[in-house]
Amino acid sequence: MKWKKSISMLCMGALLITSLSGCGSKADNKNETSNEKENTESSVTGEQNSGDVTDIEVWGTNTGYLPVEKGSQLYNFYKDLTGVGVIQPYVEWNGGTTYQEQLNLRIAAGEMPDIFTPVGGMEAGLIESGALLDLTDLLPKYAPNLWNLIPAKVWDVMRANDPSGQGRIYTIPNVINYGRNGGMIRQDWLDALNLKMPETQEEYVNVLRAFKNDDPNGNGIHDEIPTGGRAEARWMEHLFGMYGVATWEGYPQWDIYDGKLTYSAVTPNMRDALEWIASLYKEGLIDSESLLNDKAAWDGKINSNLVGSWTHLPQEAYISAETIEKTTGVKPNIVTLPALSAPGYEGYYTAMNISGISYVVANTDDEEKIQAVMKYLNAWADKSLWNDYYTGVEGMHSKLIDGKLKKLPDDKKSQQNLVMVPYNMIADLDFMTQMLEGEKTPEREWAVSQSIRDMQDNQKYVKSIAGDGIPSSVYGDYSDIQNRTLYIEYASKIIIGEYPIEKFDEFVEKWYASGGEEVTKKARAWYDSVTK
Amino acid sequence: MPKKNSSAYISLPKSKTSLIHNIKKYWPYYVMVLPGVIFFLMFKYVPMLGSIIAFEDYSVFKGILGSPWAGLKHFKALFNYPDFKRIFTNTLLLGLLKTVLIFPIPVILSLMLNEVKNLKLKKVIQTSIYIPYFLSWVIVGGLIFDIFGVGGLFNNIRNAFGMDTVLAMQKETWFRPIYVISSIWKDAGWGTVVYLAAISGVDPSLYESAAMDGASRFGRMRYITFPLLIPTILTLFLLNIGSFLELGFDQVFNLLTPMTYSVGDIFDTYVYRMGIQKAQYSLTTAVGLFQSVIGLFLVMTFNKLANKFSDDGGLW
Repeated sequence: MKWKKSISMLCMGALLITSLSGCGSKADNKNETSNEKENTESSVTGEQNSGDVTDIEVWGTNTGYLPVEKGSQLYNFYKDLTGVGVIQPYVEWNGGTTYQEQLNLRIAAGEMPDIFTPVGGMEAGLIESGALLDLTDLLPKYAPNLWNLIPAKVWDVMRANDPSGQGRIYTIPNVINYGRNGGMIRQDWLDALNLKMPETQEEYVNVLRAFKNDDPNGNGIHDEIPTGGRAEARWMEHLFGMYGVATWEGYPQWDIYDGKLTYSAVTPNMRDALEWIASLYKEGLIDSESLLNDKAAWDGKINSNLVGSWTHLPQEAYISAETIEKTTGVKPNIVTLPALSAPGYEGYYTAMNISGISYVVANTDDEEKIQAVMKYLNAWADKSLWNDYYTGVEGMHSKLIDGKLKKLPDDKKSQQNLVMVPYNMIADLDFMTQMLEGEKTPEREWAVSQSIRDMQDNQKYVKSIAGDGIPSSVYGDYSDIQNRTLYIEYASKIIIGEYPIEKFDEFVEKWYASGGEEVTKKARAWYDSVTK
Repeated sequence: MPKKNSSAYISLPKSKTSLIHNIKKYWPYYVMVLPGVIFFLMFKYVPMLGSIIAFEDYSVFKGILGSPWAGLKHFKALFNYPDFKRIFTNTLLLGLLKTVLIFPIPVILSLMLNEVKNLKLKKVIQTSIYIPYFLSWVIVGGLIFDIFGVGGLFNNIRNAFGMDTVLAMQKETWFRPIYVISSIWKDAGWGTVVYLAAISGVDPSLYESAAMDGASRFGRMRYITFPLLIPTILTLFLLNIGSFLELGFDQVFNLLTPMTYSVGDIFDTYVYRMGIQKAQYSLTTAVGLFQSVIGLFLVMTFNKLANKFSDDGGLW
């Protein structure tokens, strides 16, 4: 009896919920239909202006903003600017890992997005299996803006990406003509403790000690984290850089060591860097959770006014500054940490002119699709539209202030993901500065001007590396080398003191034995081919 | 125990009838079993044909039929993989822990629960140990990382006793204990469901007569409940042993850090790295096939042992 009663109660509950949600969805439907009505109307007017619009699906980074569906505000915005319907479903980014999974699944299901950002070097395999569109002849003809925007030298590097060796272009690179990443330090903390900006490694360590012991954030608790980074020994360039280790956001890079192109992770520079970082860890000057921090955890510590020095993008320093102010009421002064040198080394921050691939295009015979894609790429690279792409939809991404569109603060709940961000992918310092200038409002000026200053300062400390633009095909089938599995394991364990530094030699040996030898050979062959 | 079975036998005719005759006669039963058969055909047997890509250089663009034949190349690659030994030992060790330490817990729990005479209390306990089962490993993983973090419960307790902070999640020595404890915490409660059902089927008169013969409560548990539970335990054990090398990707993946690779990198995490992330489907299918073959071998061995141990103890 009891059972019967509870079952009937359950059924009633279920009924109630479904009927309620039924009401909800009905209301939603109504909205949708009215939306659709508007859309059809606007598309009708659109048709009168620009004729038929082909939709293309574009996949790229989305760190939590709303998707771009057909008929949505941003869709219409792009349609008016480019004449192409841009659609982007929500795909979780998660440092590129989840994105890569989802993309692989879609590709395996035969539903490759029309244009997408490849990650983890997946483009090499795709080119080999003929899955990507050959852009060599199409770009100059149909997307001259893009063709002319990227220097011929860089296109030559892209030609070297063709695994078949025929020099065809399949990939559109990220080109950054300035040093984007660098070290940051809290000037206001230095001031509070009457310290001057460190100029040597030794002085830097002393600053870290003072940060740890002398309560620079003035809350009376020893909660300061002098410096640190993220899991997989990432975002610690301000430390690795002191030893001349070429690394980009935690990914060891290829540069000339001992006269030859070498993977920076297996150089003596790396050995010494790790030994030093391990000593910092032991002394408690690095966040003890550094190697467990994900992006959210590490950003959270920085934004809670707890961290003294870290690696980041100077152009985004104002975002941290504003968040620190919002959460703690403290107005920080975040400045660029000069690239310091360890004894016997020349320190720098790695600059990558070609930092990965921004887009590849799915292979297709559909002429209409190809034309739409070309139209997209041409408009994407049209510098006269960049400001529009940047300010986005009025009312969602920006607001009219004194007759000028000013960007609204980030809000992932109400803003659609800006799909077209060419200024981040083909970036130059002037446009970046100009964009930030455009963000200045009386309330935000203090923070934004920090970014502008830091960005300019950072250029003094950056160095380009020889392995700039190295194609992922050099890794061939050695996925573990490409994933840097071995490096992460050894580096992490050495830093936390689980392994003595002598283990590093074992790592180098293992690395070469498990495919590093072949990869190095291929990398050097590539270098010879581009420097010829 | 054999009571039920014998009664089932009696109802079946002993005469040897042909299959068609049998179907004609008992067609309602065959109709009843049909959805199950279709399910297994569609979702278990048809996908098995896909295992063929383990022997091909499979490309998603050429399809199963168009991809070139590669023979045993991927199996060789697997066995020659520099870390194969490490992955294999880790998998074996965790599998062993799962079988030896984790598997018996629900049995013990349900025997204990059965002795709780206050019904309300029993229900409360049961419900509270079921709940963790409904959380996903992503959530449990996050909880565990927090508990073992710098300001987490684990270190607070250690500090209270004057011990220093230990970041257990990045220590090799802690990985296996955490694996075992988290498995038990999450799944043991749910595991008791089947056992409790089996216990509730025990004839109460057996207890009564045992009590009259002077058996203590512990005695009754030991000589009545437990022996009657053994067939259920055996069945579940055999079902478990088949997936000996498939430890469940979710749990290990969500507890793993690069610092614990050397003890926690297993076949499933390897398959994830190579298959899902790097799209090397042939290699990872080979790994899956390898795991299944070992599983099949173990099931057959233990089934034979079970049959030896008690008549009718095996699955077939």
